Amino acid sequence: MNEINRPLLDAHVVVERGDLLLDVALRVAPGETIALMGPNGAGKTSLLYSLFGWLPLRSGWILLDGQTLDAPGEDRSVPPHLRNLGMVFDDGLLFPHMTVGQNLAFGSDTKLVDPDLVELLELAPLVAKQIHHLSAGQRQRVALARTLLAKPKMVLLDEPLSSLDPSARGQARDLIKSAFDSQLSGALLVTHDPADAFTLADRVMVLENGKVSQFDSLTALSTQPSTPWIASLIGWNFFTGSARDSIVVLPDGIEIATSHSGLSGEMTVAINPGSVSLFLESPGGSPRNNWRCEVSNVQFVGQVARVTLSGVMQIHADITKAAAAELGLHQGLELWASVKATEVLVQGSSRPS
Amino acid sequence: MRIRVVALLVVALVAAPVISLLWRVPWSRMSSLLTEEVVTDAISLSLISSVLAAVVALTLGVPVALLLSRMEGVLASITRALMMLPMVLPPVVGGAALLFAFGRRGTLGAALEEVSGLVLPYSLAGVVLANAFVALPFVVLTIEGSLRTLDPRFELAAASLGANQFHTTVKVVLPMVRSSLIAAGFLAWARALGEFGATITFAGNVPGKTQTLPLAVFVAMETDQEAALVMSVVLILVSLVVLLTMRDRWWPSR
Repeated sequence: MNEINRPLLDAHVVVERGDLLLDVALRVAPGETIALMGPNGAGKTSLLYSLFGWLPLRSGWILLDGQTLDAPGEDRSVPPHLRNLGMVFDDGLLFPHMTVGQNLAFGSDTKLVDPDLVELLELAPLVAKQIHHLSAGQRQRVALARTLLAKPKMVLLDEPLSSLDPSARGQARDLIKSAFDSQLSGALLVTHDPADAFTLADRVMVLENGKVSQFDSLTALSTQPSTPWIASLIGWNFFTGSARDSIVVLPDGIEIATSHSGLSGEMTVAINPGSVSLFLESPGGSPRNNWRCEVSNVQFVGQVARVTLSGVMQIHADITKAAAAELGLHQGLELWASVKATEVLVQGSSRPS
Repeated sequence: MRIRVVALLVVALVAAPVISLLWRVPWSRMSSLLTEEVVTDAISLSLISSVLAAVVALTLGVPVALLLSRMEGVLASITRALMMLPMVLPPVVGGAALLFAFGRRGTLGAALEEVSGLVLPYSLAGVVLANAFVALPFVVLTIEGSLRTLDPRFELAAASLGANQFHTTVKVVLPMVRSSLIAAGFLAWARALGEFGATITFAGNVPGKTQTLPLAVFVAMETDQEAALVMSVVLILVSLVVLLTMRDRWWPSR
C-alpha cells in the first residue's frame, strides 16, 4: 500500500465482553472524523477501549499509521501508553490534584503549552486554576487541549459533550470543531447526539449489538436508514443549497438563515425536528426562519407528535401531544413553522463568528 | 436523651483509668524521673523505632495495596487474608513466627547473617521489623480501600497521555490517594508505638537497646511504679497530640 492511500487507522476488532460479541471492521482516512453511534450496550465504548489496548482482542488486528498495535497470532500487543492514541472521556477526567496548567503539561514533552491551542480553546484565564473551580464546559475544553497537546496520531472521544447542558454544548461543539480542523489527524467520536455527528463528523458508524449496522454520511443515514433504531434516531431535516454569508438558498429559492457568517459554496444544513415550532399566527421575531406551511400528516409516537409539513417548505416537526391538541392539528391545517437561526446546524463550516 | 446518657457514661468509663493514672503521677518528681537513663532510652528508642517502622510498613505496604486493588477472585482473597494475618494474630505468636523466620537459626535469618552479617533478633533493626510486621496490615487495608474507590479510568487517561505504569502510579494514582497514605502512616506509627508482644518475643527486652516504652512501663510496674507512671504520661500525651492533629483526616468536619 502506498503512503498516500494508506488509512490512518485500519482495524478489525473482535472482542468478547460478557454477552456482547463485538465484531467491527473500521478504516479511518487521515484527517477524517468518524462519529460512533448506537444504542446503550452496543459496544461503542468497548470498541474504543479495545483500540486503546485496554480490552484484549480475541482476534483481528489494529494498525495505526502503518504501525502494528495488535495483530493475530502475534503474541505482542503494544501497551496503551505507547499507542499514540489520545482519549477524551465524558467527564473530562482531569487530574484533581494538579492545576489546569499541570494537567495540560502532563502529556506533552515540552513544558511549554502551544499558544495557538490555548487561544483557540480560550484557556489562558484558566491555566493557574484548580480543577474543582472549573465548570463542566471548561473541564471538557481543558481535557481536549490536554489530549491534543500530547500530539496523538488519533483521538478517541467518549461522549465528550454529554456532561454539558444544552446551551454550553453548542459552544463547546464549535470549539472542538475548530480544534479538530487545525490540530487533528483523525478522530473517533462516540456520541448520542445527531447534532455532534452532523457538525463534527465526516461519516457515521452505527453499532447495534456489537455489529456495524450502517456506516455512511449522516444524510445518507437519515434518508436511507438500514435499521429501525437508525430511523428513530435520525428523523432530521436536511437541506442542501448554496450559501451566501449567513444564508443558505435552496434550489427553489427558499432561504434558511443561520447564525454563522461568511458561508459560501454548496452547503448542507440540518434542523432537529424538535427545534421546529408551530404557530397559528405569524410569530415574527428575529433572527428566525418562518414559513407558511400546511399539515400533510400527523403521527403520534409516545408523547411526541411528529408533524409532516408541506407547502413552501417540506419539513418535519416534533411537538408535544399537548401542544398538538392546543393547535387543533389536522390534515390540511395551515400554520407557521418557525426555526431559530441558532438551531440551524451547518456542516463543514469554519469557526462561527 | 437516653442515648446521650449512655454515651456519656461510656466516655466516663474510658476516661476513668486515664484520669486515675494522671491522678497518681508524682508531678514533683516528674523532671528527675524523666531524665533517668532507662526512661530517656526507652522514649528515644520508642520514637525512633516506631517512626522507622511506619516508614518501612508504608514502603512495603504501598506495592501490596496497589497489587491487591487490581486483583479479583480467590487468589486475591487468599493474598489479602495472608496480609491481614498479623492484625488478627496475637502479637506474641507473630514475634515467635518472626523468630523462626529471621532468628539466627531461622530459615531466612541464617542466610541473611551469612550474606550480610546482619543479625535481627535483639537489635534495633529487630524492633523495627517486629513493629512493621504488625503495622503492615493497617497500611495495606487503608490504602487498598481508597485505591478501590479511585476511578480506574484515571490510569487510562494517564496512559493515553503517554505515561507508563510507573509514571502513572507516582504522578497520578498515589497523589490521588494522598490522604489515605498519610492516614495509613499514622495508623502504622500508632500501632508500632504501642507494640509489646511481638517486640519482646523477637527483639527481647534489653534496656537501651531494644526496650521500648511499653516494655519499660511493664518492667517498671514491678520495680518503680512512679517511673511507670511518668512514662505512661509521655505515651498518653504523644497519642493525644497525634489524635488531635489527625482529627480532620479521620473525622472530616461537617
